[in-house]
Parts: sequence; C-alpha cells; structure tokens
Amino acid sequence: MARAGRFESRFDLVLLVGCAFLGFFVRALPPHLRDPLASTIRRTVLAPLVSLQRTAELTRGALDTYESRTISLDSLALQAMEARSLAAENETLRDLLAMGARLRWGFTPAEALSASSAAEDFTVTLTVGSNAGIRPNSPVVAPEGLVGMVHTVDPTMSLAIIWPHRDFRVSAMDADGNAFGIVQAHLGREPESYLLELRGVAYRSELKEGTLILSSGLGGVYPKGIPIGTVLREIETPEGWTRSYLILPAVRPQDLRAVMVLDPQRANEGVQHVWSRPAARDSTTRRIVAASDSIARRAAQAEADAARRQAAIDSIARGAENAQQPSAEPRAQTPSPPPAPAAGDSQAGRRGTQGPVRQDSAPRDTSTSRDTAAGRDSTSPPGAAGRENRGSDSAVRRDSTPPRDSTRQLPPPVPPPDTTRSGRS
Amino acid sequence: MGGRALRTILAFVTIVLLHYSVRPFLGWRAEPDFLTVALLLAAVRMRPGSAAVTGFLLGLARDALLAQGFGSSAIAFAVVGFGAAWLKAAFFADNLALNGFFFFLGKWAYDLLFFILEGRLGGIDLAIQLGVWSPLAAAVTATAGVLLLILMRPLLQASPT
Repeated sequence: MARAGRFESRFDLVLLVGCAFLGFFVRALPPHLRDPLASTIRRTVLAPLVSLQRTAELTRGALDTYESRTISLDSLALQAMEARSLAAENETLRDLLAMGARLRWGFTPAEALSASSAAEDFTVTLTVGSNAGIRPNSPVVAPEGLVGMVHTVDPTMSLAIIWPHRDFRVSAMDADGNAFGIVQAHLGREPESYLLELRGVAYRSELKEGTLILSSGLGGVYPKGIPIGTVLREIETPEGWTRSYLILPAVRPQDLRAVMVLDPQRANEGVQHVWSRPAARDSTTRRIVAASDSIARRAAQAEADAARRQAAIDSIARGAENAQQPSAEPRAQTPSPPPAPAAGDSQAGRRGTQGPVRQDSAPRDTSTSRDTAAGRDSTSPPGAAGRENRGSDSAVRRDSTPPRDSTRQLPPPVPPPDTTRSGRS
Repeated sequence: MGGRALRTILAFVTIVLLHYSVRPFLGWRAEPDFLTVALLLAAVRMRPGSAAVTGFLLGLARDALLAQGFGSSAIAFAVVGFGAAWLKAAFFADNLALNGFFFFLGKWAYDLLFFILEGRLGGIDLAIQLGVWSPLAAAVTATAGVLLLILMRPLLQASPT
C-alpha cells in the first residue's frame, strides 16, 4: 500500500517534470515551428472559445459605443443649456453696454450677488464698494429700469435694497407727466407679492392698463425718467380721494445679474434720454406697424371696390346684350322689317320700335337700375348708372374702360333716365 | 468515470467558458482570471500529476492566444495545478475565506511564474507588476472564485477525501 502510494507520488512528479520539460521545449522552439503549432491550437481547440470571446468583445464594444453616445448626448444637452444661459447673459451684458454708452459717464457697473435669496430680505450684494466711488443712497439701475438703492457701503462691496423691500419708495409719474404718485412694494399675498403699488395719484388722473410709469425725480434720490413698471389695474384703498394702481415691475429680481450704480452727480444731471430712446423706438415701431396696417387695409378696400365695380360693369354689359336680343326677335317675325337703327342710336331705335320692344326693355331697365343701385351703394362711380342707362352703346364703352378708371374721382350721381321710369311703369 | 468527475468536468468547462465570455465585458486593469479558478477547482479533485497535465494543456491553450512567451503559461499552470493538488489536504475545506485565500495564492503564484518565464518585463516594471497589479488581480480572482463557489455549490458539493 505504502509502495503504491510512493509509486503514485513518483509518477505525479514525473508528470510534472515532463510537463515542465515540454513547456520549456515549446518555449524554446524557433518561431517557424512554434507559430504553426499555436495557429493549429487556435484553429482547432480554441476556435469556439475565440469566437465566444469575439462575440463578447463585440457586445462590449456596442455597449461602450452606446454609453459614449449617451454621454455625448448628455454633454450636448448640457452644452445647449449652457449656451442658452450664456445667450441670456450675453444679451443682458449687451443691454448693459448699450445703457453705459447712453449714460456716457457717472456710473459704475457691478455684479449683483445673492439675487436668488432676494426673496428673503430683498437685498443684493454688489461687487463694488466705496473704493469704486459708491455712496449710500445711490440709485441702482438695470437696462430694464429701476432696481433699487445702495443701502450700506463697504470698501469692496455694498448692499442694496431692491424694489420689493418694504422700505423702498420712489416718486413716480406716468410717461405723459399727467399723473404723479409714490411707488412702493405691494405687500400682498404670494401671487402679488412681487408687484409694486403706485399710491397717491390724483383722483382725476385715471391710468389705463399698460401705462408706463417712470421715476419723476421729485424725491431727490432717483433721477427723472427711469422706467419702474407698467400699470396692471387699479386697486381699492381706504383713501377715497386718491387712486392707487398695481404696477408690474420692469425689473425681475430673479433676473438680476449685472447692474449699474449711478453716481449722485449723474443722478442730479438726469437720465431722461437713457431710457427714452428705447421707449421712443418702441412707439415709433408701433406707429409704423399701425400705418402699414392702415395702408394694407386701404389697398384691400380699394381692390374690393374695383372688383365690385367690375362686377357691376359686367352685369350692365350682360343687360345690354339681353336688351339687343329681344329687339331682334320681332324683326325676324315681321315679313318686311324696317331698317334696323344704328347700334349707337339706342334711344332712337327704341322710339322707332313698337310695343313688344318696349315691354321687353322693361326687365332690362329694371335690372340695370338694380345693378346701378348696387353699384352706387358699393362705392361705384357716381353717375355711372345714368350713363349706363342711356343705352347699350355706352355700356359697351364702359366695359372697355381700363380698370385704372375705377380709382379716378368721378362726377356726382345723375338721376336715372326715363327708361327706368318706363320700366317700372 | 463517476458522477463526481462529470460534475468536476462540467464546472471546469463552465468556468473556462466564463473566461472567454464574461472577462471581455469587464475590461479592468486587474481582471479576474477564471482559468486559474477553473484549474484550482479541478486540481483539488484530482491527483497532482493529472492536475499538472491539465494545467499544462490549459496553459498551452492560453499561450496560443498570446503574442509571445509561448509555453510560459503551460509551465506556470502545470506547477500551480500540481501544487494545488498536492496542497489540497491543507487548503480544501468548507470555508469560503480559506478557499478565497487559496485562489489568491494560486493566481499570484501563476503570475509570478508566468512573468518571470515570459521575460517581457524586467526591473521596476516587473516589480510593479508582481507587487501591485498581480496581487490586485489575485484579489479580484479570489473574489470571483468565491462567488463561483457559492453559485456552484450544488454542483461541487461532493468533498474530496
């Protein structure tokens, strides 16, 4: 038993040595013998495993591609969002630059921080302080309008109250300078807590919705002409002898990023032309649009008139043709017809014909009269009825008139001729 | 061939297939070596000589897919298989932590032999490979081996005598 165990151990050892020897042998083989051996193993024993590995790697590659594309899409979405915010910031800064160009002097640009927490105490931190010349009570403005006032100044930063603050007051007026009052924060409930109130407006001064409210410059802090907001509606107040209005502010606190602090001297000089240009531009644009609308309406009306006139003329021409056909039928029935009158001499022709002709002409005249009346009602040239009723010849001539005559000023209306009366009779 | 041998062969083949199907999905720098796990699980169930031959053949298959060092894996696996079969009395127990350590040692020993025999790395690179990456790969392999042991417990239930 022990001998068998020793034999097995020796046999195992021999196998190990043999394997090691074979291993070293194949390792020492020259490449031209070793490579075919490896290739044979790959093509026979390992072929299914290699195929399996290839499938797994392809699957992994597909997963990696999917992941990378998902990452790219996420990255693109992120970039799109950033681009949107950058575009908004760019627009704000451009507006600020334009306002700086209009102000020319006496202002300090600043960044408004903590705007997101403005809902708590309605103050913002400005990134400029007394080192930049900022003083307390300096107006803070934005391209859209009035923001607030500097409250506390440190060397490198300052605190400003913005319009929703309960201590905010500004003397205000409408754009025409007819109504004056004091604007303050509207301390209402949540939906209206971000609005302003215009109080103390004289009872006779009624403001319509959308009226622009500007600073009046009477308070001494804010210069005249800074937009504050627009009127939303009138609100009820305990005082019955004045009016109060709810104002939609021009500046939204959550959008505050870059502002400008006006120097007191600049404020004293006034800023009336800084915000008036955009307002004037807007009103001019509105006027141009209204004028072009009016021109378009007039053109459309003239076109409709011309079409109506053309229809009336066509109707008259048809009436004239109908009038000629019945007058020819009796002539065909008579064995020796009298000589036909000249085409232009319709009156003479009608006088020369007998009763049937006159009866036939009755409906023609009636229809002519009706069309003329319609034509007169629809701004057809006055007097056209009279001319058309004189005979088919005149109607033919009118038919050949070019359309440009329709816009010409025509003589006053002429009373209907006798044919109408005879038709009615 | 008894049922135990069949189960062992089935487990061996399954783990070898995992090496070529699961491993490419991982793509880690320190990857689990399922071939080592398969060899160790099979080696403790056979005589050292048979384990050495099995390791040699398995290593030869691995070498066939390598660009250089043909035969290195064969020698390394033959030695590791023989050692695992010889040490099975000491290591094979129904203890997952001990089996994990067994896998760790087997993989590290294989890397040690392979990289020395291959001769591609030398100096500091070899030291970093054997001192840093090989232990990491051995740890990952040990973790994978323990997981496989848990999953294949019904298949590998019969304990060696």
